Amino acid sequence: MNDQWTDRLSEYVDGELANSERTALEAHLATCAECRAIVADLRKVVARAKALEDRAPKVDLWSGIHARLTPGRRPGVTRPWRVSFSVPQLLAASIALILLSGSGAWLALKPRQSAVVTPRPDPEFAVLNVSTRRTDAAIADLQDVFDRNKSRLDTSTVRVVQQAFTTIDRAIAEARAALVADPGNAYLNLHLADTMRRKLELLRRVNAIAAAQS
Amino acid sequence: MLTMLTAAVLASLAPLQGETDTTIAVPAGASLSVNNFGGSIVVHAWAQNRVKIHAEHGSRGGMEASLAGNTLTLRAGSRHGSPSVVDFEITVPQDMALTLSGTYTEIEVDGVRGPISAETVDGSIDVRGGSGIITLHSVQGSVTLADATGRIEVNSINESIELSNISGQIKAETTNGNVSLWGIKSASVEATTINGDVEYEGTINDGGTYTFDSHNGDITVSVAEGANVTISVATANGDIDASFPLPFTGLREKHRYTFKLGTGSARMEAESFQGDINLRRPAEMHMRQKDKDKDKHRNHNQDREEP
Repeated sequence: MNDQWTDRLSEYVDGELANSERTALEAHLATCAECRAIVADLRKVVARAKALEDRAPKVDLWSGIHARLTPGRRPGVTRPWRVSFSVPQLLAASIALILLSGSGAWLALKPRQSAVVTPRPDPEFAVLNVSTRRTDAAIADLQDVFDRNKSRLDTSTVRVVQQAFTTIDRAIAEARAALVADPGNAYLNLHLADTMRRKLELLRRVNAIAAAQS
Repeated sequence: MLTMLTAAVLASLAPLQGETDTTIAVPAGASLSVNNFGGSIVVHAWAQNRVKIHAEHGSRGGMEASLAGNTLTLRAGSRHGSPSVVDFEITVPQDMALTLSGTYTEIEVDGVRGPISAETVDGSIDVRGGSGIITLHSVQGSVTLADATGRIEVNSINESIELSNISGQIKAETTNGNVSLWGIKSASVEATTINGDVEYEGTINDGGTYTFDSHNGDITVSVAEGANVTISVATANGDIDASFPLPFTGLREKHRYTFKLGTGSARMEAESFQGDINLRRPAEMHMRQKDKDKDKHRNHNQDREEP
């Protein structure tokens, strides 16, 4: 892992590097799989961010999140800034985007609990605590819509969809249980977030199908 | 912007013993949209700029056809408002773009070379051919796609997905079912299921990205000798098994291992919560497929022999 470049990858993805730096970084990328992996993750985050619907939050979350991402800085203190993700922030942002893209979910990062997934031979994990309350609420809302409209669907379709819900709910429960035992595990956190996103997508899809049957 | 050339009802509610047959000339580059409720949509291709339609329906049903601009639209119709069951058999120009949809509808396409969108709630989708953007979605049915190229998005909820001889960008997702990808030539593959296995036999292109994910099933992926790929495998409760030595030169995290083959240029993630991750050579994958085919054949024969 080349620490010289790690903090410049976000700028590279954003096209903000000078030509000489970009050339040097690309030469480095050709030989460094870890940096390429991070660049790929950053591009995923950017792509997912672009795919998000514009939706105003009910409350201004940024000041709180920003303060937590940058310890020692108080909310409300502004200065010129540019978006640049570190690897831990990238993981947190990836999870947030997975959840937000599905539901506008509230991602709460508890104080002093940020993701630390350093791509080193012996990585250290800190606790990544992702509250999924808002996602749970969004799922419940969509489930409620489905329950109200499912009579528009054929009973066999409803049975199939319920079966799919059961499958996903079981997967979510298993991922949650695993996280209780190992809360800092990056794979488990991402797996849980991704599985919840799939539940949201499935609910949206079947609700759209039910609506089209009216 | 498309010019509205004509807007004419060419055939409507004209049942002749429950059948409608008509052939419609279409301009080059025309697209076809078919909306059915129950029954089937079967599409073949020919080298003519005409669309030949054969529709079988009940005496109270029928079909409606209209050509507006460059789009020919076919719909299941009914004299009494309720949706009818229609079996469409349609022959189209080879390069025609297709948008096919239905509720209780089986969809089958063979030999078309253009973009294809097919969506049904209760019915399988079976497509051979196609290029450009290809999206196939079914809720209750299986989805099969072969001999296609382009940007592929395939989705089911409760059945399996099978793709074979595909080149291009691939995204395949189901909830309850296996995802099987064979003969793939792609630099971008994403195959996911919650409750099922994922199989991939195909190229690993330099610089490509490959994502395989399941919650309950096994992931089996072919990795050719000489592949340049950084592979990240993760499982919470399963095992990692490779039929060749794994050089753990990269990351070692709890539940996740990363290693580099060759230059590590491509990136692959293979993850399953409960299942195993199996990395195999292509020849082993083919042997495994042959064994499966033999078993299937044997079971088929046994079923036939049973009284």
